[in-house]
This record gives sequence, structure tokens and C-alpha cells, in this order.
Amino acid sequence: MNAAWLPLTAIAASLLAAVIIFTLPEDARRLRTNINLLAAVIKITLVALMVRRVVQGDEAIFSFQIVGSIDFVLRADALGVMFAGLSSVLWLCTTVYAIGYLEGTANRKRFFGFFSLCVASTLGIALAGNLFTFLIFYEMLTLSTYPLVVHSGTDKALKAGRVYLRYTLTAGVVLLFGVVLLYSFTSEHSFASERGLGDYLGDHRTLLTFIFALLVGGFAVKAAMVPLHGWLPRAMVAPAPVSALLHAVAVVKAGAFGILRIIYDLYGIELSVELGVTTALAVAACITIIYGSLRAIAQQELKPRLAFSTISQVSYIVLGVSLFGPFGTIGALAHLLHQGLMKVTLFFCAGIYAEELGIHRIDEMNGAGKRMPLTSLAFTIGALGMIGLPPVAGFITKWYLGIGAIQAEMYWVVAVLVASSTLNAIYFLPIVHRLWFRVGPAHGHGTWPNEQRLGRLETHGWLLWPTVFTAVISLAAGLLAGLPFSPLDWATRVAVGEYLQ
Amino acid sequence: MITFFDGVEVGLALCMVTAALFCLFDRHLLRACCFFVGFALCMALAWLILEAPWLAGVEGLIGALLTAPCLFYALGSFSHAAKLPPYDHIREPLSRGVIRTLLALAWCLMVGATVRFIFPEMVYSPTEHPLLLAGIVMIATAMGAFAWHRHLVRRLLAFNVMGSGVFLLLAGLAGTNAQGQALITVGLVVAWLGSLLGALVIRRLYQLEGQIALSGESALKEKGK
Amino acid sequence: MTWRFGLVESTFTPLLTSHWALAAALCLPLLFGVLAAILPPRRMWPVALACPPILVAGLYLLTDTLHAGLLRWQWEFFGVSVALRLNGLSILLLLLTQWMGAAAALYTPGLLRISEPERFARWLWPLMGVVTSALSLAWLATDLLTLYIALEMMGLAAVAMLLLSGKAAALQAGMRYLLLTLVGSLAYLLGVALIVGYWGRLDLAGLAQVMEPGPVAWMAAALMGAGLALKAALFPLHGWLSPVHASAWTPVSALHAGLVVKASLFVLLQLWSLLLPDAFWAPRLIAWMGMLAIIWGGLIAWRAESLKTLVASSTVAQLGYLMVVFPLLIGPDTSPLARALAWEGFWLQLMGHALAKAAMFMSAGNLILATGETTLKGLAGTSRRLPLSLLVFGVASVTLMGLPPSAGFTAKWLLLHAMVVSQQWLAVAALLVGTLLTAAYIFRFFRYSFMETAPRQRYQPLAPGMDMIALCLALAAFVLGLLAHFPLELLQGGSA
Repeated sequence: MNAAWLPLTAIAASLLAAVIIFTLPEDARRLRTNINLLAAVIKITLVALMVRRVVQGDEAIFSFQIVGSIDFVLRADALGVMFAGLSSVLWLCTTVYAIGYLEGTANRKRFFGFFSLCVASTLGIALAGNLFTFLIFYEMLTLSTYPLVVHSGTDKALKAGRVYLRYTLTAGVVLLFGVVLLYSFTSEHSFASERGLGDYLGDHRTLLTFIFALLVGGFAVKAAMVPLHGWLPRAMVAPAPVSALLHAVAVVKAGAFGILRIIYDLYGIELSVELGVTTALAVAACITIIYGSLRAIAQQELKPRLAFSTISQVSYIVLGVSLFGPFGTIGALAHLLHQGLMKVTLFFCAGIYAEELGIHRIDEMNGAGKRMPLTSLAFTIGALGMIGLPPVAGFITKWYLGIGAIQAEMYWVVAVLVASSTLNAIYFLPIVHRLWFRVGPAHGHGTWPNEQRLGRLETHGWLLWPTVFTAVISLAAGLLAGLPFSPLDWATRVAVGEYLQ
Repeated sequence: MITFFDGVEVGLALCMVTAALFCLFDRHLLRACCFFVGFALCMALAWLILEAPWLAGVEGLIGALLTAPCLFYALGSFSHAAKLPPYDHIREPLSRGVIRTLLALAWCLMVGATVRFIFPEMVYSPTEHPLLLAGIVMIATAMGAFAWHRHLVRRLLAFNVMGSGVFLLLAGLAGTNAQGQALITVGLVVAWLGSLLGALVIRRLYQLEGQIALSGESALKEKGK
Repeated sequence: MTWRFGLVESTFTPLLTSHWALAAALCLPLLFGVLAAILPPRRMWPVALACPPILVAGLYLLTDTLHAGLLRWQWEFFGVSVALRLNGLSILLLLLTQWMGAAAALYTPGLLRISEPERFARWLWPLMGVVTSALSLAWLATDLLTLYIALEMMGLAAVAMLLLSGKAAALQAGMRYLLLTLVGSLAYLLGVALIVGYWGRLDLAGLAQVMEPGPVAWMAAALMGAGLALKAALFPLHGWLSPVHASAWTPVSALHAGLVVKASLFVLLQLWSLLLPDAFWAPRLIAWMGMLAIIWGGLIAWRAESLKTLVASSTVAQLGYLMVVFPLLIGPDTSPLARALAWEGFWLQLMGHALAKAAMFMSAGNLILATGETTLKGLAGTSRRLPLSLLVFGVASVTLMGLPPSAGFTAKWLLLHAMVVSQQWLAVAALLVGTLLTAAYIFRFFRYSFMETAPRQRYQPLAPGMDMIALCLALAAFVLGLLAHFPLELLQGGSA
């Protein structure tokens, strides 16, 4: 039985939510909230159904012909469902968070409309069954995130939006060129092809390498790999939920996911190794990891520090992909999920600090742990995970990546991992130290830069609960990694599938 | 008989070209328009000679009775209030005019050269088809005038003369069979409608802005702001 | 190429009902236009009542064409034979014309009600009818005479429509347009004269058989090409275009930039593929001009101060995309695959652009009407008060940028594919650079509109439906991109 409706309705859920939100009046706050949450829950249910199908060994496929031999294909395979699951769970969290965060600000209709559109594109990226479909959603993502980046409408935001577009649209054009080239010469762009592109190796070796460079170059911009990362720190002007979504699932991950798809499902891992492109990619990833960490240390404000940390962390995924061998793959895939969970937690916390206490700079964070224990606990979990300390999820990833590197006999990668973890510790531990062990302004005396109300909870529930939730999941993903349906388990399933092909 | 007929044709062609030249290059606008009426009557005669009485009728009706009043209306001859200045005083820099005229001439030489392919015998006796020749000359001069003049009424005149030249050429090349007549009739109607529209615009532009010529691109842009 | 344009004999004789449908499609717009001039509609519903018969006639013709593949009509008036044909391409363009005409007509009452009632407002209706009828005729005509009639009706009516706003700037621009279009039609007529003089016939199908390349064909092609390029505002003959749109009424601009300009291009392509089937340099010349058009039009739009100039200049650039395809459609040594792809891409781009440009002009018109500001700076901060108009503008601009999921993207994909297959790297580069330039000028406007610091102005509320019509057009371009398969099958079908 082929459930074509499943992937389609999953995308339609958020798309429809966007359309409805756009047609609602600006002040229909309650209705908008309900629709948002309803759509998010429906989406999670649908993705869960898709997961069940994949477990049963049955992929839901939806396709129709666009033109000639080009089809629009949505295919819920293991890898796609993995990313879809991440995006739908985090959508729910960020939506709840955003509802609380944007309480009482202007232009919320526009914000939530494009937010839903952005998530619909992410889901489309996850489920795209061929490169053409992927491209459709990838560009949709670019367009739908622009209004979110410039949401505040200040000069700085508009400038950031311009930089963002300059990077991503150029990348989109490069990508389009690469895809057209590939399709013109090989008539191949499906992610489900059995043979991969191996047949063309003999005749078109240089061309294949060139196309690989174009495609990966196009994706690397969104994945913020050095030197194509310039837009990411600037895009930090966006509201905190946007930053969280951008960094955890939507934009940055879309780029990394694209690279995954190219290497595993389009070229095939053997062909990529054969072409020698993986080594180059591994080097680029390592440079990005170290560079991102070094720049993060230099940042004195919280959000930019997190941004550079993202640049560094996302490249772990790329690094894992470019290590030939199942362990590297497992590490990469698991990190896709883990990093999303941990990063979203960190950004949520940063948003809460900024909103509640007006904290933007790191040296203002002294003693915030006492004032906001739950938030700070969540932050600590996220930070420890980023460093890669057990038992948080980040540890699992680094462990697998290390094993993968050793198996692939790329020992310098291990050195990079160690160095990066040290650097991570250098820029995260001081924050944790400040949170818990420094004495801050006295409780309730309003000496934080811009302290807000004090309710029963340390902050608004809409903000707090998603944060706690993602922190708990990050912890659980590390502690309970051995259970079925944990990120690690699913990553292993995907990796086994890739290598048995 | 044949020579006599040719003589009539040559004479008519000469008359027509003269009328066209006066109409194009007389700076006294009212006079130029009167020349245009004469020119249109010559055209009607030419159609008679070419054995196309239908066209002669249409030309007489449209050219002399409909288009000419449009032009007079544009000049403001029917109203007492806002007459256009009787003379066209706009002087163009010589270089611009020369370049434009050369372009127009080169263009028409090409047309003339192509006509040769259709009438190979014209190589030996260029005066075989005097009306055809008149048509080419009229197109060339009108084209030059159209490019050179800036006064809108004069450009409209130039367009009309050019149209007549094209019709003559068409008749000379294709003969005055049903197809040719149909094309020319449509062309005449279009030319009249164009002139009517043009006359209305000229009139209104003059009333609104006191303009009798199109301002340059840059001036227009500044206005837009 | 002749079969692609349906210039072949048809074995089917059209049914009686098809005759009526044809008559309705060609004459009803005129009739209703005149009717509306006598009794100008103040609300949308009279227009909404008038549109269905025309649209139904179009749909009926569509089903007929789907059955027969090619329909031909032939009549003889006073010894002049006139023939019309309906193949996949012409029915597509006919439907596009009818639906866009209907959209423009539905948009008009609201516009006229809000803006001050003008002296000449009632003249808009018959002129709109003439333009729609003439366009329909232009897609169907198969001989030079009918084409000439259709082009001239269309051109003159278009000039008159553009003049209607009656401002001095509009009159200036309109006068320039009038003079140029008249001269352009004379150039066309001169070309016809050469063809009739040499081959003695006017019907395209017959000409295709007797035509042989030579100086006469070249000269005729050059003359007609120059005339039509002038009417189609192909670079470098585009100078008249943006001033004309700067002060024209919105539905007029929508129809003009969307369809009228395209009709001349359609005729140009049709005639050239007939006259110059194997020319090497002429289509390349057009293509180079097209590349320059993409760059130049993009830069002009980028520098534009007023929103209308931006939208109008983008037409120049978008026509460049179509020009770049010429060497793939006309000329020797193009592989059948590349030609088929280019053929599909060309028409898809044309249709997508027509819809999107109409939507864009309407939304721009809405923005300008609501705020009373015409410059980009003056329109700063509109995203807050006029989100729907801005959204329509955004949706339409996605098609113009050629980003998915729009007709512009699918067309660009097809064109790029064709160009890569035939290794025209320069054209590929032009298309890609064009995408970025388009994005640059589109987002320049969006940057202003997202400004929160802009001063608050008073806004005039729009009439109901004005935004929705534009939105429907813009979404139609999306749907066309995703379901491109169906129209393109029509294009390739017919009697091959």
C-alpha cells in the first residue's frame, strides 16, 4: 500500500496554516495561536505515521509530473523522515516559544505566516525525492526566511537581510546551474536511484567533480561553511525564535542536509570517495570547525557567540559525512538531530535572558542562575552537550565521529575533534561559571540591565516550557541513546541502509 | 498611347514628389497641410491610373476629407482660442539631423536595392516604373523628415507621406489586385486613425503644457519626478 | 517550425458550434466594450456577468482543439482569402488573453470608483474590448493581412488606452509611442510589400512552401523584424516603454505589458521562423541584444526611483529572456531535444511573465492608489498597513525572479536545460545573472517596504476584490509552473 497522501498532507498542514494565518486579521491572536498549535500537532502525528511506515519497510511516495521527465516527488525515506521529525518537533517548540516571545509586538500575522511557510519548506526539503523538488523547497526556504530575518524592520535588520539574500540567492543560482548541468548530462536527479551516478564516472569524471563542487558550494552557503558563512552572524538580529529555528533546523540544517543527500543518495558514498571529493570536504569542514570556535571565543555577546558556535557545530555533520565508513555517517546523522536540540535550547535561553533580564552581553550574566534556575539549567545542559561531555547527547556524536575518523585512518581529524572540544569548553564553560558561581545583582532589586516582571515562574510559561522540554530531550537523547527511536538508533538505521545499498 | 500614358505617369509622379517635398519641408504649417491635401489628391489620381478606383475613392475620402481636417484641427484652425504658432521655429543641431538623415537614407537605399530583385528590368531602365520610384523617394525623404523634425504636426505629416510612399511601393510591387488593395485600404484606415489620435494628443498637449514637440528623454524623467 | 505554429492543412472541418464559439471569442469583447461605454458599469457584478460567455467560448474551443488537434477556418471576402487556425499554442494564448482580459476588466470598476472619475473613463471599456479582440485575432491569424489588421487594431487601441489618464506626462509618452508604433507598422507593411511582390501571396502556410532564402527574404525579415521589435519594445528599441507605463491606468498597464507587447513578439517569431528558417546570424543578433536587455533592464530597474518605472523596466529585462532563446528556435544545427525544450520554455516563460507582470502592475497600482505615493521611498513601511498588496507583489515577483515554485522557474529550468544541451554558455550565464539582478531590484523595493521607522501615512482603503484579482493572477503563475505539464503537452501536440 502506498500512502501518497501522507507526505503531501504533512507539508500541506503547515502550508495551509500559513495561508489561513495570512488571511486572518492581525488582532485574531487566540485563533492564530490555536491554528498554529493545531497544525504543529497534526504535523507531528503525520510524521509519526511516516516513521511507522518506514519501520515497516514501506516508504510513502507522492509524485506528479511537472514537465517532461521532471517529476515532483515527495518520498518519506528513513533519512528524510529523520529530518522531518526534527523539524516538526522543533516547530512545535519554537511556535510555543514564539507565541510567548512576541506577545504584544507588531506584525505577528506576518511573522507566524512566514514562520509556517518556512517550516513547510523545511519539511519539503526533508521529504524531497529528487533534486528538482529539493530545489523548489530550498528556494522557498530562502524566500520565506527573509521576512523573518528583517522582522524588526530596523536598519540593522534590513542590512542583515540584504546580506542574507546576497549569499543565499547567489548560492541558489549556483545550485540551479549545477542541477541543470547534472540533469542535462546524466538525466539523473532522483535520490532513490539504484545505481547512483557510477555509470558516468568513466566519461565525465571532471564534469562530475565540477558539478559536485557546484552543488556542495551551493549548499555550503546555507550550511555556513567558511568562507561562505558571512550571513549567519549578521542574521542574528532576527527575533530569538527565528534564530533558534534558523540555526537548529531550518536554514543551516537545510544546507547540511543537502550535502548529505548529495553524497549519500545522489552520488553515492563510493563514487564520492572515488572522485576524491570527500577529503577536500573533510578539510573544509575541519577548517570551519576550528575557525568557528576561535571566532566564538572572541565574541563578547551571547547571541553572536552562539552563532559562531553553530558555524562550527554544523560542520561536524559535514565532517562525519565525508568520513568514509558507517561510524562517521552515524555520527553525522545523529549530530544533525542532537545539534538541533541542543542549539535550540541555547537560543531559547538566550532569548529568555534577553527578554526577562535584558542580558545581551556575556559579562552581564553573573548570577543569572539564581534568578532563573530552570532556564540556566537548560542552558547548562545545552552548553555541556555542545562541548561533548557525557551524558548529554553531544557526547555520543563526538564519540562516533572519533571512531569513524580512526576507522577511516584520518587521525588528524581526531586531533581536530579534540581541539574543537577544548575550544568549545573555553567559550562555554566561562558562561556556565558566570551563571552559577558568580554573584549577580541582588534578587528582585531590578539591577539587571532591563529586568521584567517577577511572576510565579521565573519567566513566562510559553517561553519556559519549550526550553525545558528541549533541554530534557537533549539529555534523554544522550542518556537513553540505546533505546529504539532514539536519534542514535535512527541514525544507525539510516546508516545501515546507506551502506547496505 | 503607351508613351502618352507613361508621360502622364511621370508627370504625376513628379507632381506628387514636389507636393510631398513642400509638405515636408515648408515651415509654415498651414501651408504644409494644404500641400498635403494636394498630395492626397495626387495620390487618388495615381490610384486611378493604376486602375484601382476603389482605392482612389478611399484615398480621396480618407486622405483629403478625413486626415487633412485632423491636421487642421491639430493646428487649431477650427478654434479661435489656442492656435498653434504658424511657423515651426525649432532648430535642430546639424549633426543630429545629418546622422539621422543618413541613417534613413541608408535604410531606404537597402529597400531600393531589394526592389531591384523583384523587378530585374529596372537595372536597365530605372524610369520604367515612375510611381514606384516616386514611392521610394517619398519614403526616403519622409523618413529623413520624420527623424529630423521635432514639431509634432510635421512628424505626423511626415508619417502620412511615408505611409503613402509605402502604399505606392506596395501597389507597384504587388500590383493592385485584391490582396494589395485590401492591405492598402487597411493601411489608409490605420494612418487616418493614427493621425486622428495624434491630432487629439497634440491639441491637448498644447493646451496643457504649451508644447509642440516631444521633450527629450531626460526632461521627461524629471517631469516624472 | 511551420507545424509548431499550426501552419498546415487540417483534415477536420470545424463544427457549427465551433464557429459560434469563435465568433463569440472574437466579437463579444468588442460588443461588451461598446455596451460598457454606453452604460459604464459602476460595480463589479455587471462585468462579472459579461465575462462568462467569452470564457466559456474559449473553453469550448479548447475542448475542440484537444479533440481535433488543429482547427482551420477559411473565408473569402472580395477575392481576399482570410484563414484562421487554432492549434495548441494559439488556444493557450487565446485562453490567457481571455482570462487576463477578464481579470483586468473586473479590476477596473473598483479602480474607477476610487480614483477620481475621469472625463475619458468610459472610453476605457471599448478600447479594452478592442485590445482583447485584436489579441485573440493575432493569435489565430495565418496570413499577413489579418496579422496586420490585428496588430494595428491592438496597437492603436493600446496607445489610446495608455493616453486615457490624460496627464501631460502620459500624453508625451503616448505620443512618442504612437509615432513609433505607426512607423513600426509601416516597416511591417514594407516587408509585406516585398513578400507580396516577390512571391505573390499572403498566407503563411503557402509562403512557407514557396519561400526560399535570399536577399528579398532577408530584407523582408529585417523590415518586419525592425517594425515588430519596435512594437514589442525589444532592446534597444525599448525607450518608449517605461514612460508610457509611468502614468497609465493600472489595468491598462497590466494588459499592455502582459499581452500587447508579447503579441508583437509572437508575430515576430512566427514570421522569422518562416522567412529565416536557417539563418545563423539574425537570431544570434537578437540573442545578444537579449543579453544586453537582461543586464540593462535589470540595472535600470535597480536604479528606478518610482515603483512603476521599476515594474516597467523589468519588462525589458524579462523580454530579454525570451530574446535569448531565439537561436534555439530559429536557425540551423539545433538538436531536436534542445529545440523542443526551448520551444516549451519560451512559451511558458511568456505566459508566466504575462500573468506575473499583470499581477505586479495591479499590486503596484494598489499600493500607489492606497498610499498616494509613487516612489519607492514614499512607499516605505507599507508591509504593515497593506500586507495583502505587498504579498501579491511578492508572489508575482517570485515568478519574475524565476524562483520556484513558479512558471518562471519551470521555464528557466527548461531553457537552461536546452542551452546546456546545445552548449550556449553565454546564454546560460545571462539567465543566471538575470535572476540575481531581478532579485536585486525586487528586494530593493521590499527593503523599503519592511522599514518600521517610516512615517505613518493615511491610507485609502481599496475596493473589495482589487487585491484578490491580482492575487489570483499571481497564483495562476504558480499553478502554471507546477502543472506546466498540461499546457506544454498542448504546445507539443497538434498535428506533428
